[in-house]
Amino acid sequence: MSPQHGSQPIQHQFNPYSDNGGTLLGIAGEDFAILASDTRQSVDYSINTRLSHKIKVISPPVTKEMKLESTDIVGTKNSVLFGTNGFSADGDALTKAFEENWKWYVHDQNSNVETGFEFLNENNEEKESFMSMQSAARNVQHLLYGKRFFPYYVHTILAGLDEEGKGCVYSFDPVGSYEREQCRVGGAGASLIMPFLDNQVNFKNQYIPGTNSTERRKIEYLSLDECLKLVKDAFTSVTERHITVGDGLEIFIIDKNGVRSEYHALKKD
Amino acid sequence: MLSEFADKLQQNENVLQREAFGNDFKGMDNLAGNNKFQKLAPTIEMAPVSNPAEFLRAHTDDSKNPDCAIKIAHGTTTLAFRFQGGIIVAVDSRATAGQWIASQTVNKVIRINPFLLGTLAGGAADCQYWETWLGTQCRLYELRNKERITVAAASKILGNLVYEYKGAGLSMGTMVCGYTKKEGPSIYYVDSDGTRLKGDLFCVGSGQTFAYGVLDSNYKWDLSVEEALYLGKRSILAAAHRDAYSGGSINLYHVTENGWIYHGNHDVDKIFWETKESEKSFNNVIG
Amino acid sequence: MAGLSFDNHQRNQFLQSQHNVSVKTTSTGTTIVGIKFDNGVVIAADTRSTQGPIVADKNCEKLHRMSPKIWCAGAGTAADTEAVTQLIGSKLELQQLYSKREPRVVSSLQMLKQHLFKYQGHLGAYLIVAGVDPTGAHLFSCQAHGSTDVGYYQSLGSGSLAAMAVLESEFKMNMTKEEAIKLAADAIEAGIWNDLGSGSNVDICVMEIGKDAELLRNYRTPNVREIKEKSYKFARGTTGILRTEIISEVEIDTSV
Repeated sequence: MSPQHGSQPIQHQFNPYSDNGGTLLGIAGEDFAILASDTRQSVDYSINTRLSHKIKVISPPVTKEMKLESTDIVGTKNSVLFGTNGFSADGDALTKAFEENWKWYVHDQNSNVETGFEFLNENNEEKESFMSMQSAARNVQHLLYGKRFFPYYVHTILAGLDEEGKGCVYSFDPVGSYEREQCRVGGAGASLIMPFLDNQVNFKNQYIPGTNSTERRKIEYLSLDECLKLVKDAFTSVTERHITVGDGLEIFIIDKNGVRSEYHALKKD
Repeated sequence: MLSEFADKLQQNENVLQREAFGNDFKGMDNLAGNNKFQKLAPTIEMAPVSNPAEFLRAHTDDSKNPDCAIKIAHGTTTLAFRFQGGIIVAVDSRATAGQWIASQTVNKVIRINPFLLGTLAGGAADCQYWETWLGTQCRLYELRNKERITVAAASKILGNLVYEYKGAGLSMGTMVCGYTKKEGPSIYYVDSDGTRLKGDLFCVGSGQTFAYGVLDSNYKWDLSVEEALYLGKRSILAAAHRDAYSGGSINLYHVTENGWIYHGNHDVDKIFWETKESEKSFNNVIG
Repeated sequence: MAGLSFDNHQRNQFLQSQHNVSVKTTSTGTTIVGIKFDNGVVIAADTRSTQGPIVADKNCEKLHRMSPKIWCAGAGTAADTEAVTQLIGSKLELQQLYSKREPRVVSSLQMLKQHLFKYQGHLGAYLIVAGVDPTGAHLFSCQAHGSTDVGYYQSLGSGSLAAMAVLESEFKMNMTKEEAIKLAADAIEAGIWNDLGSGSNVDICVMEIGKDAELLRNYRTPNVREIKEKSYKFARGTTGILRTEIISEVEIDTSV
């Protein structure tokens, strides 16, 4: 069964994807949201770097006044925390594409150039406006679906504050199907952490003791402190059992004061 | 204000025409800045190989290749039927990627407008994307023609769109349900093969057979609204129970001449035990 | 009939060509090394066992005893390294009883390579064989297809490159026992940190001429897990109960 030479072109297996491992996690609280990821980037059995950044804070400029109030602020409350996991080259490309869209969008919203749609602003408000999480999510859907037939190999999670100031998390599949959720894990550790979060954040499979397992435990918002504990425990646990997760944990927290970041070391084996 | 908006759109008619068939219009590629967000549909990029459809299958079709890198969310049970009191639409809320339950809280009914609903089965992104797109098309029709679009026309826009992409790898099975004065309550089934059928009763998705089993044996035209809502819910419950790819919760809708009415989200686990208790059914299950 | 059955080999080949099914074995991503020193030989291994990207065992033993003073470090398919080591171990003991002589490392190596060659690489065992016998201290490595190597230092497994980098830069002839142990542990650590297939702890076995072999289990433990932030104890009654049934104890009559 040797192919006849010259009769037809030979199609070689084209595989532009690789799996860079790692895990991404988002939790929405009542007035805050968290986006966290490990900082290892690997391929097969090798580590490319122990300090990669899978989350980008896309933020309007941080003013001096904000810096004075708190020195560790890395973004304003109008930021979008943008995280991608999977194939890092695709993740970087997507992040860049979104960042550009975000910049143009904010620019257009606040520019004085006549667009012809001024009548939509009935009250003639002067207020500076940014990109809502809802709009950000829809734009990401378009970016992902734009490559429906040559997909970005990524799981995307956005975190931020919605228009009422409530914490919100949006998660996306590789081709742009999306949903707003309380919490979501993406990447290598998804199957290990997601069931844990279902149980600890949404209280799945928990009943109120003494009700003879008829009344479910009511969902309530967790405090920021409680959420951070869950995030850290989730990551130290998944580091124990998944080889592509480890080295470091980067956590971004967004609330009415802006975006802060934390770094914790994870095991390096 | 509405007419002003319509005039504005009229000025951009040329651009909009092209946007509707975006993939044929290469000039749109160079848009940046101000014009960027006027695009309604993007130009969809293909893999740089001789057979992009084959490339897509190799990397995304988990039924062909369980080890494929990109698993796209699939799996569903949806149903819609016509009866004396209008239309009932019922769907589950589970999304699966291979053996993994990606979500239990998916919204599989898209509210195209107050009189039109679209159901979502197959590729989650395909349905979500093209049905929201259909929503914009229906709105543009409304602005241009100063009347609401018919269910037949709306479903045909979607049908024509997916037919253009035939063979490229889209995966959707959808029901466009709605009411207009001209047509009365109507249901159109549209799928990614290009099939478009008008009918009284459809179940779509991996759990369709289970839903048909319950629905066919209890369906009557003369069902009361309450009975019909219960039957819709009960049919999805049966599917959620037996089909591993369906589950989560049930979303219920009733379409009348005054538009659709949402009848809530029902947790499958909760209503399963309630149904077992009240109907004395599901006797195979211990509990 | 003795030996392995190849009954399903053809069937599996067919299945793999027709469908996307394959038989998955636990392949231990591993780092193992062996080093000779002035009066003996030392071997070492990491303790991570994996199934794909999942860590199956955080503290498994990859150092196998074939006879009291001949030990073996295994990489490759876990079941094969274990089975082949035990098989040769038994043969060595029978031979010792028959000949009334201490087993030699070269005989164990010969038996291993003949066995592995016979199976044409289907037994995925990659071994570092070391020990002391009446002829002195010895160190060998053995590949799945049956080829063997002799040397003063050896490394095998997915972390072998990381370990060999350390060995190549630090090895000296005629090291002391302590120097050799430190070098072996450092080489394994290089694998633990830089190879995703290796991790957790360092196991060491020292075989010195004129002494009993010494297994230093968990000689280094550089990966102790930090304490969790939170306790996850549930209040009694949190889990739903569908049905309760009490099964009473039954005496089983053991006589036939």
